[in-house]
Amino acid sequence: MEPPHLYPVMLYVYDLSKGLARRLSPIMLGKQLEGIWHTSIVVHRDEFFFGSGGISSCPPGGTLLGPPDSVVDVGSTEVTEEIFLEYLSSLGESLFRGEAYNLFEHNCNTFSNEVAQFLTGRKIPSYITDLPSEVLSTPFGQALRPLLDSIQIQPPGGNNVGRPTGQS
Amino acid sequence: MPHVTARTPRMAQSGSPKNLPADQDASSTSTRVIVKTPGKEQDFIVADDTSVRQFKEKLSAHFNCQTDQIVLVFMGRLLRDHDTLTQRGILDGHTIYLVIKSKHGSPPLAHCSTDMSTSKACSRDESIDENSSGVHQPGSVNEIPVDSPLLMKPEVSTEQNQNLETGTSEHMAQMLNNSSFQQLMLNMNLMRQFIDEHAEMQQLVQQNPEVFQILDNSEILWQTLELARNLTIIQEIMQTQPSAQNLEPPQNPQPYLGGETIPGGEDTLGQIYADFSDQTPNHVHESSGGNCVTNLLSGQVPEQVQCSRSVPPPAQEQRDQLPQLPTTRVIYTGSCGLSSANATLNRMSHTARVSASTGSAKDQSYKCALQQPAGVPALLSIQPTQPPQEEGKDDISPRDFDQRLEDEWLLWDEQTSSQITGTMMQLLMNNSSLAAQMMMLLSLPQLSEQWKQQMLQTQLSDLLVSLANPKASQAILQIEQGLHLLATEAPDLLPCVAPYLWGLGWFPAPSCSYPDIDMASWSWDVHNVPEPKEPESCHKSEAVTQNLKSLAKDNSHFLQAPEIRLSKQMKYLRAMGFGNHHANLQALIATEGDTNAAIRKLKRSQGF
Repeated sequence: MEPPHLYPVMLYVYDLSKGLARRLSPIMLGKQLEGIWHTSIVVHRDEFFFGSGGISSCPPGGTLLGPPDSVVDVGSTEVTEEIFLEYLSSLGESLFRGEAYNLFEHNCNTFSNEVAQFLTGRKIPSYITDLPSEVLSTPFGQALRPLLDSIQIQPPGGNNVGRPTGQS
Repeated sequence: MPHVTARTPRMAQSGSPKNLPADQDASSTSTRVIVKTPGKEQDFIVADDTSVRQFKEKLSAHFNCQTDQIVLVFMGRLLRDHDTLTQRGILDGHTIYLVIKSKHGSPPLAHCSTDMSTSKACSRDESIDENSSGVHQPGSVNEIPVDSPLLMKPEVSTEQNQNLETGTSEHMAQMLNNSSFQQLMLNMNLMRQFIDEHAEMQQLVQQNPEVFQILDNSEILWQTLELARNLTIIQEIMQTQPSAQNLEPPQNPQPYLGGETIPGGEDTLGQIYADFSDQTPNHVHESSGGNCVTNLLSGQVPEQVQCSRSVPPPAQEQRDQLPQLPTTRVIYTGSCGLSSANATLNRMSHTARVSASTGSAKDQSYKCALQQPAGVPALLSIQPTQPPQEEGKDDISPRDFDQRLEDEWLLWDEQTSSQITGTMMQLLMNNSSLAAQMMMLLSLPQLSEQWKQQMLQTQLSDLLVSLANPKASQAILQIEQGLHLLATEAPDLLPCVAPYLWGLGWFPAPSCSYPDIDMASWSWDVHNVPEPKEPESCHKSEAVTQNLKSLAKDNSHFLQAPEIRLSKQMKYLRAMGFGNHHANLQALIATEGDTNAAIRKLKRSQGF
């Protein structure tokens, strides 16, 4: 039997604050945060991410954020592009619609984590997924929670991943 | 369909594969696996030696699809039919992902130019670049670089494409009547995108970054859109109006600095406007504004006269309401004034005036703001450049108007720009936050050096007067030094000090944009904003520090000179009946000894 074809899966990590969080977080939050992380999954030579506009895709590094601040190797997958897109479509209709976006609870990192697990069975590094709880555990984060809750992040530069209507 | 959530191995699932032992006892051969589909999760009990194929069959029954459509993924590996679950290492409690393939095949990815990536998307990409450059270019903190979230709904892109292509009024009417379009228009972000990304708007913005500032103000946009919604009504009104006549301007349009108005000249002009506007119904304003809006939206240059200048600023209440003016409005008129492109100026001012004339209570302040002496220079500079383009619709004959304008024009022409800045400086002293905004404008690279120097000089002369108390000037010096120190030692803290800077009427540090940021959309350019601003504010601090230092030294010395210098004029003023010595002195200083101008200034400020 031929060995199954494996596709590498990468996690692109962006610091939305461009270094500001690292400098200001001790002052503002009382604890050190290395960054405000936005992540996306890169597989099949495409980058996939979730924002307030739903699931989007673009060429790797193709959002307005530019190249990632770090890249994490998540593993490899046998899932083909076709199957993956199917999966994303159904995700985009169910769990990851644009209006479901919430900065703390259901954000780009939630999506990346979900997709990474689907593709490889592994989760993304915990420092990324722990970020919301880190922030919320500070008085500052608690105080700003209503404001932060309303923030919607959508990196420009992607195209929506959708499913044509009338599918089974 | 059987309900599945089997938590205990004892519960057998109906429709289970044949290999499941008939007895319900927990069997070590059965495994509980979690099957995750996008959106939900279910537990399944299977026997250990279940083959993948059998499992798929079971699932297909459960999910109501064909077995061939089912794809199972475990740990990133596709489960092939001939394997058993245990062979793949699937043990108790593991999660298997299920994807149901669609019958027609998966949709191609968007970057290969599907329906989603219409020209809209392409233009979005390039416009993003232009937007980002447009955003950074003015460098003014006042203009909040908000990249609104791109809402990528199919209806949106198609409709927007339609909008771009159709320019005729019928289409416009149709579109406007479309309720979904109206909903789109309600979405500020969307419309902002739309306006921003239109190709001609891009050009416009690149030529005149102040336009971008205008457009970036959501309130103006909102009101413009309100007008546009009534466009059909407006169009009807427009048709009933005589087209404006292009009367020849008395002189060639002059660049801003040359054609600046005199504070005194505002008086007469104000009266003219008052007469004119009293007879102009409000809807005329709207219609002209609507026309502007149409033109704006369709990206045409409103060279036609209808759009321009039909609305002499409703000049009424202006000066009395000096203290109340909302800062931001003046900024727009201020930024209007700073542009040297008259056509653009017209457009912007009309947008501003359009907003002004929409006629809510809030807009009263618009009108007031527009009439502020600080704001008026902007508008009045328009008047000289294109005075006669009002619509000759009402009782005042345009010629009358025009002639009076000509007279005024000559008068204005004699005056220097420092007078207007003197007025502005007075305004600024009265309203420190306004001063802060103006200082922000100072940091605009587009401002001419001359303007900056004039501002500083006039600021000097007025500061002199008000800093008669040497201790006050010393205190301010100390603050300045403190800020300087802070800027060098810990520039990161400058944002924290921003509130204090505001109070001092100085450079609103970058973080002043933070409260203003519409937090519903995140600003990507946050990181860019603080950095360029900090060195600039340091630089400015230095300049002002130096000024103040020289002030402090020469304080009394300098003060003497004007008084002596201007004693003659002072006497004259007193003879005329202006008793306030201090005000007289200020006025004379501002007008640099021109008695007539000073008189006008005083009259205005004292509310004649």
